[in-house]
Amino acid sequence: MARAREVPGFDCGEEFAAAAARIVRVRAGEVFEHAEGVLDVEEIEHLHDMRVATRRLRAALEICAPCFPPKRHRKALKRVKRLADALGERRDRDVEIAFLCEFAAEAPAEDREALAARIEVLRAEQRQANEALAPRLKRKRLRKLRRRLEKLAKAAER
Amino acid sequence: MKARQVEGLDPAAPLRANAVRIVATRLAELRDLAEPALEPGAAQAQHDLRIAAKRLRYVLELTESCFGPEAAVARRLAKQLQGVLGDLHDCDVMLPSAAEIPSLETLLRTRRELLFKQFTELWREQAEATWLALERALAA
Repeated sequence: MARAREVPGFDCGEEFAAAAARIVRVRAGEVFEHAEGVLDVEEIEHLHDMRVATRRLRAALEICAPCFPPKRHRKALKRVKRLADALGERRDRDVEIAFLCEFAAEAPAEDREALAARIEVLRAEQRQANEALAPRLKRKRLRKLRRRLEKLAKAAER
Repeated sequence: MKARQVEGLDPAAPLRANAVRIVATRLAELRDLAEPALEPGAAQAQHDLRIAAKRLRYVLELTESCFGPEAAVARRLAKQLQGVLGDLHDCDVMLPSAAEIPSLETLLRTRRELLFKQFTELWREQAEATWLALERALAA
């Protein structure tokens, strides 16, 4: 899992609103940097990294909420939450599949068929979660979210 | 679980003054949720505590440089709690579908017991001193 990036120029004596703008820019940047390869179910860490980055951005938006225009903040947070939820749906399946595949190798013979069936159900759910997630990862949609977050940061600086 | 409202935040005031209020609120939330979570079967309370640990961790990731090394220690403990409670929650999520796979159900129940023990040890051995040190750092 990727470590949270330091916020450049972070100063505890700085005005909260100015710091909030800087924090949101850095946390938003982390989300978009991790958007590659997320739909690949063979390399599940890509999705995990983007999900963690999205959770950090969501936390930053919640923490710094009073620094932003309420309506604009509400809309941005709603979109980040939806993205986080879609990533979470996929991640839940990734975790369970990985756990069950590892266990299946050492499970008693009489349970292997049921385990394989459960893994198949989860793989179908994983595909569905990916289908729901894919539109949210389109470049155009991510660019729009990025612009929205940048406008929010600018509003905090005013 | 909805996060507790942080009172008295001021966008024009220095970051540190606001961070004190945010961290103190998140810490109080975490401590208030701990007691019910220390009951072995309290899956929902343990899940809520994990969310509270995550919230404290993320605010400390952002602001710990305002509070010194005690805040980094608290952030690491919050991360550990989030991790062990997250693994425990994974067991709770998987258990219903394991009812017809006896070996899997046994594994998940054993794993859950072990994770619960890790959680209670972590809390009883480290939490109080860590949170008190963080409170002192906030007040400094």
